[in-house]
Amino acid sequence: MLDLLREIERELGGHPDEVSEAERIDAAATHRAVGRVLRAFAVVVALLFVFSSERLVTWVNGFEVGPVQDRVVSASTAWNALMAESGLTMPAEAVRAEVNDLRGMSWPEVRARLENEKARGREGARLLRGALFEEQG
Amino acid sequence: MLFPTIEFGIFFLVVFAASWVARGTPEIRKLFLLGASYFFYGWWDWRFLALLFVSTLINYLAGLALARSARPGFRKFIVGVAVVAGLSILGFFKYYGFFLTSLSVLLETAGLTRDLPFMQVILPVGISFFTFQGISYVVDVYRGHVPAERSLPNVMLYISFFPQLVAGPIVRAADFLPQLHRPVSLTRAHIGVGVVLILSGLLKKMVVANYLATELVDPVFFDPAAVGALDLLVGVYGYAIQIYCDFSGYSDIAIGIAALLGYRFLENFDQPYRASSLQDFWRRWHISLSTWLRDYLYVPLGGNRHGEAKTYRNLFLTMFLGGIWHGAAWTFVFWGAFHGTMLAVERYARRQIEFFAPVETAPGGIMSALGNGAQHLVGILWTFHLVCFAWIFFRADSFATAGSYLAGFARWDEASQYVTPFMVGLIAIAMLFQFTPRHLGRWLARGVQYLPSPVLGLLLGGGIWLIWAIAPEGVAPFIYFQF
Repeated sequence: MLDLLREIERELGGHPDEVSEAERIDAAATHRAVGRVLRAFAVVVALLFVFSSERLVTWVNGFEVGPVQDRVVSASTAWNALMAESGLTMPAEAVRAEVNDLRGMSWPEVRARLENEKARGREGARLLRGALFEEQG
Repeated sequence: MLFPTIEFGIFFLVVFAASWVARGTPEIRKLFLLGASYFFYGWWDWRFLALLFVSTLINYLAGLALARSARPGFRKFIVGVAVVAGLSILGFFKYYGFFLTSLSVLLETAGLTRDLPFMQVILPVGISFFTFQGISYVVDVYRGHVPAERSLPNVMLYISFFPQLVAGPIVRAADFLPQLHRPVSLTRAHIGVGVVLILSGLLKKMVVANYLATELVDPVFFDPAAVGALDLLVGVYGYAIQIYCDFSGYSDIAIGIAALLGYRFLENFDQPYRASSLQDFWRRWHISLSTWLRDYLYVPLGGNRHGEAKTYRNLFLTMFLGGIWHGAAWTFVFWGAFHGTMLAVERYARRQIEFFAPVETAPGGIMSALGNGAQHLVGILWTFHLVCFAWIFFRADSFATAGSYLAGFARWDEASQYVTPFMVGLIAIAMLFQFTPRHLGRWLARGVQYLPSPVLGLLLGGGIWLIWAIAPEGVAPFIYFQF
């Protein structure tokens, strides 16, 4: 994948060690790219604040005890409670529950699930054939 | 400050924004990155900042002395002094306790008891990596691959640059220092590569490596005598995947972060478990270390230039010392010696086969293609199992544990405790990614680099959110931090 960077450098100015390719890149292009990443980071921070607020609580709980820290802890706890009330922490909980189901699954359960899937497939095919026969009939 | 933590996230946001604000004044930008790197290292243990600085200063002064001297003998002397100084610092912190313990055991075996000057030596994080980078600088200057750097901050930044400081990849002076002399820029390609590598690294480390470690590898290696052969077999497969995802995950994040700051590191892993020979494996695994060992150890030892016998000796010595580099324990010594021996055996066998049954160069029919395919497949399986065998010694805390692990392969009648569908699924998916097209990452990066910023943010934020949701609680340290 890193040959992509080397390729860009070459496209911009020959061999990376011979020609200073960066000199040819317009400073404005870099400025735009930095702005683009910063805007993307802002979206990342907002997303994580809203949908992963419980991680925030776990993190601030690791702070040492102190008046400022206590205020930060209570603010983040209140924020997490607000997000939970709004149902915004539910997607993460649902994903975690699904992963926990997968982790706890035994081999007989996997076999049973596969059998179920097969049976559903067979049932679907039977229904489809039945519908076709009815049409033909 | 571990990469997959909120602390590091905040640190990186600040460094990213401030370093690009300072783009117009390169010297200030470099000083800022240097300060950030020392802050990052000091976060682990501020007491070792002086050690990092002294180690750098020795290499910087050696570089200047090399630039001022034309006498070959004196230049050799300077390189020798710098390398010995670097290795002495590394040796003291890393091997002092090990050698004293080994000496004590040896003396006791011989019936001699002596009071040895034991002391508790704390291993500074990343010491093996920054020592090797320092040696790389001095030797590259000596060989004329890179001019001696006049600016101390440049050498300091090269050695301490925070993405690679504590666990690599080992960056070459000849590759990195010229980048410090060019105006830095951020292109779409940097963004694409950075985002894809950071996400893939987080996924590998936080999900695959952490689950395999806590739910399979750690319990199996804790007491191999308590589990059956199936657990042991899947346990070592799991460790092979865990160490790959752990270390290559770290490298991916490091390379991705460097890309977002406008710097290019070299690739450190290239789907190592698809290697069809041990030689091929070492071209794909921890590439920055294996090429370092090749260029600064194997080649100076004579490489393959002085006949077969010396080539085998050099192969063995290189891997043997590579094993010791990994840690102060006899299990690492065995691991390196095993790889060295097997590389020599493999080279010998290949030469014999080429002599007695030369490779058909003419295009063959379908049978020939099938034969080559089968041979390649056998090569992959054989190499993977050789590597796994060696991983047992790498992971085990002692020879007794490794022996108990190997002995356990006779217990096929015992029911499995840890081989769950989830673990097998993780190993299978990770193995599958060893065989995906080599340019998959490149294609993804190409796709990502043209995304508008809100979509890029959604992709990165959604990716991190999903990884956090799937991953187990807490962050385990990276395996290679101990080296």
